[in-house]
Amino acid sequence: MTVSDAESRKIAVDTIPKCLRQGAGRWGDRVYMRQKDLGIWQRYSWNDVYDQVRAVSMGLMRLGLKRGESVAIIGENTPELFWADFGILCAGGKMVCLYPDMTPDEMLYILQHAEAVFLIAEDQEQVDKYLEIRGQSLDIRKVIYWDDRGMWQYADDVLMAFKDLQELGRRHHAEHPILFEENIDAGRASDIAMLSYTSGTTGVPKGVVLTHNYLLDNAYRVLRANSLKPFTQYLSYLSPAWVTEHFFMSIGLLLPFIYNFPEEPETVLSNIREIGAEALVFGPRQWESLAATVQFKMNAAGLLRRKIYAAGLKVGMKIARERTVRERAGWGWHLLHPLAERLVLGPIRDNLGLKKTYFALTGGAPAAPEIFNFFHALGVKLRNVYGSTEMGLYTQHMGDQFDPATMGRWYLAPKEIGPPLEWRIDDDGGLLIRGGSGFAGYYKEPEATRKAQKDGWFITGDAIRMLDNGELVFLDRVKDLKRLSTGHLFPPQYIEMRLRFSPYIKDAMAIGDENKDFVAAFVIIDAENVGQWAERANITYTSFADLSQKTEVCTLIQQEVDRLNRLLDKASQVKRFVNLFKELDPDEAELTRTRKLRRGLLEKRYKSLIDAIYAGLETFETEVTVRYRDGRQGVMKMFARINTAVQGDE
Amino acid sequence: MYLHSGDPIVLKATDINLSFGKIKVLNNVSLEVRQSEVLSVIGPNGAGKTSLMNCLSGFYRPQSGRVEFQGQEITGVPIHKRAALGIARTFQGIQLFPHMSVLGNVMAGRHVRMRTNCLQSFSYWPWVQREEVAHREVVEEIIDFLDMEFIRDSIVGELGYGLRKRVDLGRALALEPSLLIMDEPMAGMNVEEKEDMARFILDIQEYRKIPVILVEHDMEVVMDISNRVAVLEWGHMIAAGEPREIRVNPKVINAYLGED
Repeated sequence: MTVSDAESRKIAVDTIPKCLRQGAGRWGDRVYMRQKDLGIWQRYSWNDVYDQVRAVSMGLMRLGLKRGESVAIIGENTPELFWADFGILCAGGKMVCLYPDMTPDEMLYILQHAEAVFLIAEDQEQVDKYLEIRGQSLDIRKVIYWDDRGMWQYADDVLMAFKDLQELGRRHHAEHPILFEENIDAGRASDIAMLSYTSGTTGVPKGVVLTHNYLLDNAYRVLRANSLKPFTQYLSYLSPAWVTEHFFMSIGLLLPFIYNFPEEPETVLSNIREIGAEALVFGPRQWESLAATVQFKMNAAGLLRRKIYAAGLKVGMKIARERTVRERAGWGWHLLHPLAERLVLGPIRDNLGLKKTYFALTGGAPAAPEIFNFFHALGVKLRNVYGSTEMGLYTQHMGDQFDPATMGRWYLAPKEIGPPLEWRIDDDGGLLIRGGSGFAGYYKEPEATRKAQKDGWFITGDAIRMLDNGELVFLDRVKDLKRLSTGHLFPPQYIEMRLRFSPYIKDAMAIGDENKDFVAAFVIIDAENVGQWAERANITYTSFADLSQKTEVCTLIQQEVDRLNRLLDKASQVKRFVNLFKELDPDEAELTRTRKLRRGLLEKRYKSLIDAIYAGLETFETEVTVRYRDGRQGVMKMFARINTAVQGDE
Repeated sequence: MYLHSGDPIVLKATDINLSFGKIKVLNNVSLEVRQSEVLSVIGPNGAGKTSLMNCLSGFYRPQSGRVEFQGQEITGVPIHKRAALGIARTFQGIQLFPHMSVLGNVMAGRHVRMRTNCLQSFSYWPWVQREEVAHREVVEEIIDFLDMEFIRDSIVGELGYGLRKRVDLGRALALEPSLLIMDEPMAGMNVEEKEDMARFILDIQEYRKIPVILVEHDMEVVMDISNRVAVLEWGHMIAAGEPREIRVNPKVINAYLGED
């Protein structure tokens, strides 16, 4: 992004504070934020919020905050956090939001690196973290807290209550009545709004520089890709330390949203229902826990209810699949659907509080297809969203038809803000992106910033694949890809994860390295589910080893492998697979205690089987030594069928 | 360190004697509680701790002795009037309404502060509504104070033990007491629940400025959060003082460890 481009745009509101001011002007007394407090949903109108923000902003000015300085915030989603956020931006400051579960050491690093001059902390817990690290070359002028619980006995000059800060700000505003507005006017689209520290699984966290332009760019990407209704009830639940919540904060300023805050993190589920949330953005784990509450309650229900529930969900599933993957459901299902809706689907949506939810997103990690199917069957159109902190949002499931296994289609970056989003796949299989508001770099890390880019493209480090229908499949991190002897890179973890998503597959291991010319896989069937399936299909079997090698079971697993292969490019497809004749066992060191595969050991132990796969054999027989629980060892004859998943060409 | 000079006495019990038949349960026990303190009463089983609490809260009437609350003699005042005066207590066993919600239970604690009678409540006049809202506000503040939002509408009988104890405390606080008597609030709790409860007791003292009399067996908690500790043995008060004095008091060590 070049500064001159951004500034030459003819958009009246090009910064977050200007959006806020515009919103207060347009929607003055309408509700903007709501938080349940003392058992009641307390409302703040746009004017209230504007007033609160002004008080914070002027308070910080009075305490000496200068344009361009950083202020850190740490806490859960509350109105105060967002007032502080806006207040900092209005004063021209940079906002740094920290995860509330951060340790004092992590906090110290970021406060130092971002050169924060104020810390706005939720409560005693966060203040204590600061008090632990104070004096370690920090430049914090004041620590401001908004929950005074447990703070009554603290007498320290560095501490200040949020209310006192606002009081100070209100007096300062009375003395300088136009300063606040002047500050807002002085803001430029290219100003840094936020430093977002990436969690940094490798090495120290890096602060991604995010401009106002960037936030608005992403807000418009979502707004233009979806038809969102003004005054949509949004529940703020994603951590504000994660940039995604700020996209929705920005959307909330433009659409607008009614921004709801849960009473306590533990009360989110009941809060969703109380407010009748219309827009929800959760990580896969939260969606899973929503689904699990239904499962859990249904397990406790009587037989008849369970049957009705299962039947209703089945009907919902058929109809949903017609919509999402264009799998035709017969007219019979369509006839049953209103009944299922009436008896099962509608009431469950109502119970979960999803009755009015029309915009549901999941992001951050892949969600299991069952979760997708469950919500779609209910009639909640759960969508994947994919992006990165550095470049914002890339893709999302759009429209009505999409595949749960993909991340959806590309967003369009608004023309007013920057060039269109462009992507290409690098030689190493990684996704490169440019366009939109662009990547503004890592704060004070020119070397890392340089390394993250290549000829003007941002290196995402993600391995992806584009399907012919324009949908993106996220495979793996590039560093986790493995190379075949043909030089082709394939995503082992993606293959394993997708296979594991099948109810019939418990574990899977992708095989293939620089000595092998195609990808193969070990599949460990889920004994319980496959066993039940076999019973229904009248297939008799004696043991796990027997069950796993039944031709019908091999065909069943073949279907799962086919489903996976459709998502992979030809050279990455699983060409041959074997249902392993025994379950993997942590006691035999085949799995770690957390059920992760021990690849090296498995490759050694099953070397002859792997050799047989690549030798093109159809069956394989071996003798394995088995260690019994009492310590004795025995030898067992094992038989495995080697299945060819993809016929013909290499 | 706790300095009690200048800190007004809230409750004063003088020479309390209580016996059941020939069994002397309390023998000339005297005790005073000051405005800004957590006073713990400890002692072996059967020492008379709960009996002493019952005398203070009015469940028992001592044969002789005098109880003064905020300068007023209350020795013969019945329980419900003591509650109205501002003495609240929690119980060793849980004495809640198990079929009511948490909210209902805490609201019940407001009963002594309600002015409308049954008939008025039934017809729900505007002033009755106003009163209910006012009481509900107090109750909601307590729910917030004790972090009970997530169980607000749960039925008490379905809650775990630690949470029920918290509800019990909530109901006692709903009285807006001037003195809180807690009888073994942490018995049977796990470490985390104990920590929470200790935090709440300190908050009650620091923020709500309510003096607390605490009967408790967990010595670690007692020594950590009390300003003063009184020790009972066989109905006699054998020691009283700051935790660090009590820790080294030979009489106390003897009573607890049984050394000769």
